Amino acid sequence: MKSVGKFFASIKLAIVLFILITLASILGTLIPQGRSAAEYAARYGGSSGLFISLQLTRLYQSFWYMALLFLFGLNTVVCTLSRFGPKWRRAFGPVAATDAQTLLTMKVKSRFRLALPVVAARDRIAGLLRSRRYRLTESATASGVVLLARKRRLGRFGSDVVHIGLLIILIGGFTSGIGVRRADVALLEGQTADVPNVAFQVRLEKFETEYYPQGGVKDWKSTVTVVENGAPVLTRVVEVNRPLTYRGFSFFQASYGWDWDSSRLDLEIRKRADATFSKVVSLKVGERLPVVDADLSYVVVRQFVPDFIIGEGNKVQSRSQEPNNPAALVEAWKGEERVFQSWIFAKYPDFGQGHAGGSSALAFVLKNYAAAPYSVFEAAKDPGVIFIWLGCLLVTAGFFLAFYWPPREIKVVLEEVQGKVEVTAGGQAAKNREAFQSEFENVFESLRRPA
Amino acid sequence: MTESTFFTIAFALYVGALLVYFASLFARREKWTRSGLALAAAGFVFHTAALIMRTVVSRHAPFTNMYESLSFLSWAMVLALIVFSRKSRVPRLGPYLMLIVVGLVALASSPLMPKGATPLVPALQSYWLWLHVSVTLLGEAFFAVAFISSLLYLAADTEEKKERLDALSYRAVAVGFPLFTLGGLVFGMVWAYRAWGRYWAWDPKEVWSLITWFVFALYLHTRIVMGWKGKRSAIIAIAGFLAALFTYFGVNYLLAGLHSYA
Repeated sequence: MKSVGKFFASIKLAIVLFILITLASILGTLIPQGRSAAEYAARYGGSSGLFISLQLTRLYQSFWYMALLFLFGLNTVVCTLSRFGPKWRRAFGPVAATDAQTLLTMKVKSRFRLALPVVAARDRIAGLLRSRRYRLTESATASGVVLLARKRRLGRFGSDVVHIGLLIILIGGFTSGIGVRRADVALLEGQTADVPNVAFQVRLEKFETEYYPQGGVKDWKSTVTVVENGAPVLTRVVEVNRPLTYRGFSFFQASYGWDWDSSRLDLEIRKRADATFSKVVSLKVGERLPVVDADLSYVVVRQFVPDFIIGEGNKVQSRSQEPNNPAALVEAWKGEERVFQSWIFAKYPDFGQGHAGGSSALAFVLKNYAAAPYSVFEAAKDPGVIFIWLGCLLVTAGFFLAFYWPPREIKVVLEEVQGKVEVTAGGQAAKNREAFQSEFENVFESLRRPA
Repeated sequence: MTESTFFTIAFALYVGALLVYFASLFARREKWTRSGLALAAAGFVFHTAALIMRTVVSRHAPFTNMYESLSFLSWAMVLALIVFSRKSRVPRLGPYLMLIVVGLVALASSPLMPKGATPLVPALQSYWLWLHVSVTLLGEAFFAVAFISSLLYLAADTEEKKERLDALSYRAVAVGFPLFTLGGLVFGMVWAYRAWGRYWAWDPKEVWSLITWFVFALYLHTRIVMGWKGKRSAIIAIAGFLAALFTYFGVNYLLAGLHSYA
C-alpha cells in the first residue's frame, strides 16, 4: 500500500503524465474528430477501422484519455497531500529547535551585541519585525529566547491552491460530461416551445437581425418570454454573448435563419403577345393558386431557394440561408396541360424565361419574397460549470500566491553573554532575495546603532 | 496623422533599434545597447499611439484580425523587452527579441494582411475580447523572452552568461505562465461559455493552448521539484514557445475549428 502511495506521489509520474497528455492531445488535433465512418474510410483507407476501435476519432472522450486525466488528477491530489503537512508546520507550526551556529550558515545573517536585558532586546526586535508585518512565534531556551518571524505565509501554499483548483476543474469537466443536458430550440416568431425535460416553455416574441451599414451582421436580438404553468414569467432580449438563464437553464443565441420552405412570393404574370398585360399574384410555396385567365388556370411554386446554386448531380441547392440569389421554380397549368415551367430569379428577371419557359406564351417575374425568420437557441444545463469557475478562481489565486506572494522567514536567537545580549539572526526568502536582504539589513542595522 | 503613419514610424524606429543593437553586438560595444533600447522605447510610444488611434477609429479592441493581433503581439514583446532590459543584464536579449518584433511588424505590414478595420461579428462583441486576447498575447510575449534567452543559453560559452540566461528564462516564464493561464485558458473558458454555451469544446485552438500550458507546466515542475536547470530547461522553454506560436498561427492556417477569427 505504501509503495502504491509512493507511486502516485512521485513527481516522475507527473512528468510522464504531462508528456503523455501532451502527445495524446496533439494526436487529437491531427486526426479530425467526430466525423462519420465513411469519411474516415475515405481518408485513412484500411487503417480507419483501427483508428475507430482505438477511439482515436473521438479521442478526447475516449476511455484511455479519460484514464490519463483521472491519473493526472489522482497524482495531483496525492502529491499535494503528501507535501502538505511539512509545509503547514513550516508556515504555522511552532519554532523548531535552532541555535546561533545554524543561523550563521544562512546567506542572509547578522550578529551583534546589545547592552540591554534579554526581555527589552526581544521587545525591540519584535516591535521592528511586527511593524514590517511579520508574525512572531517565540520559544524560551536555557540561555535566552528564539524568535521566529514569518510573513506572507500563504505564499507557501500557492502551488497547492493551484493543484486544488485544477482538481476541481477536472471534477467539473467530468460532471459536465456526465450531467450536461443540451437541446437546440428553434423558434419562429410567436411560437412557443417546450424545452426538453424542463417544466417551463419559451416563446420567441420577436427576432431581429441588425446589419452594419457596410454589410455584415451586427447583431441578432431575440426577445424571449419564459412561460411557466401557462403564465409569462419574464421577458428578455437574448443576444450572442448575452444568454438568458432561468432555473439553471441557459439559453444561448446559437443560430438563425428563415423558414424559406414556406415563403410567400409575389409573382408578376406577363404575356409575350400582350406587352401591356400585367397581373401580380401572391402565393405560398407549394400552394396551387387558381387564376382566372384565358391562357392559364392555376400557378404553383414547386420550390424556392434563397441562394440558388447548382450542386452535385445537377441538383438545385441553396448555398446559404441568406437571400443572395432567390429563385423559384414556377409552373403554370391550363387544365391538364403545363404551359410554363422554369426557375425564375429575383435578381435576374430576364434569365430563365428563354430556357424551358421560352416556348411559352407566358413569362413570370419574381417580384417579392418573404419568409418568417426563426431563431435557434442552445439550451443547456451544465452542472459542471460552477466547479469550473471555482477551480479557475483557485488556480488564479494560487498563481498569485506562488509567484507574487513569496514567504519570508527570519529567525533570531537571543543569548545573554556577560551582561549583554548577543543577537544572532538569519533569514530566507523564496523570491526577490535582494529586496529581502535590504529589509533584513534595515531591521538589524537600526538596532546596532545606539538608539 | 493617421494610425498607419504612427505604425510606420514605429516600424522605422524598431528597424533602427535592431540595426543599433546588432551594431553593438558586432562592434562589441555594450553601451550601444542603451541606444538600441531607447529607439525601441521610442518606437513603442508611437506604436502605443497607433493602437489607441485604431481603437478609437474602429471602436473595438485592436486585436480582432491577423494584422491587429500581430501588431499587438509585437507591441507586447517590446513591452516585455523594456521590462526585462533593466534588470536582466543580458545584452543580447534586445537584438534577438527585436529581430522577432521587426519580423512580426513586417508581416503585419505586408500586403498579404488585410488592414481594414472590419466591424465585429456578434460573437466578438464582448468585453471578454479585451481581457482574453490582450492577456493571452501579453503572456506569449513573455514566452518569447524565455525563448530568446533559452536559445542564447544553448549558444552561450561561459558559465556566468549561462547562469544569467537561465535565470532570465525562468523569470520570463514566471510572468508569462500565469498571464497565459489567466488570459488564454480562464478568460477563454468564461467567454466561450457566454458566447457558445460551452466552456470547452476540444476545438484545435483550445487543445493547442492546453498543450502549450502543459509544456510550461512541465518546465516549472522539472525545474522547481526535480531541480532541472540549464540545457534541459532551455529546451522545454523553446518547445513551449513554439507550441504557443503554433497555437497562435498554425492552428488558424492548418487546422479548422470554431476559433476562426484570428
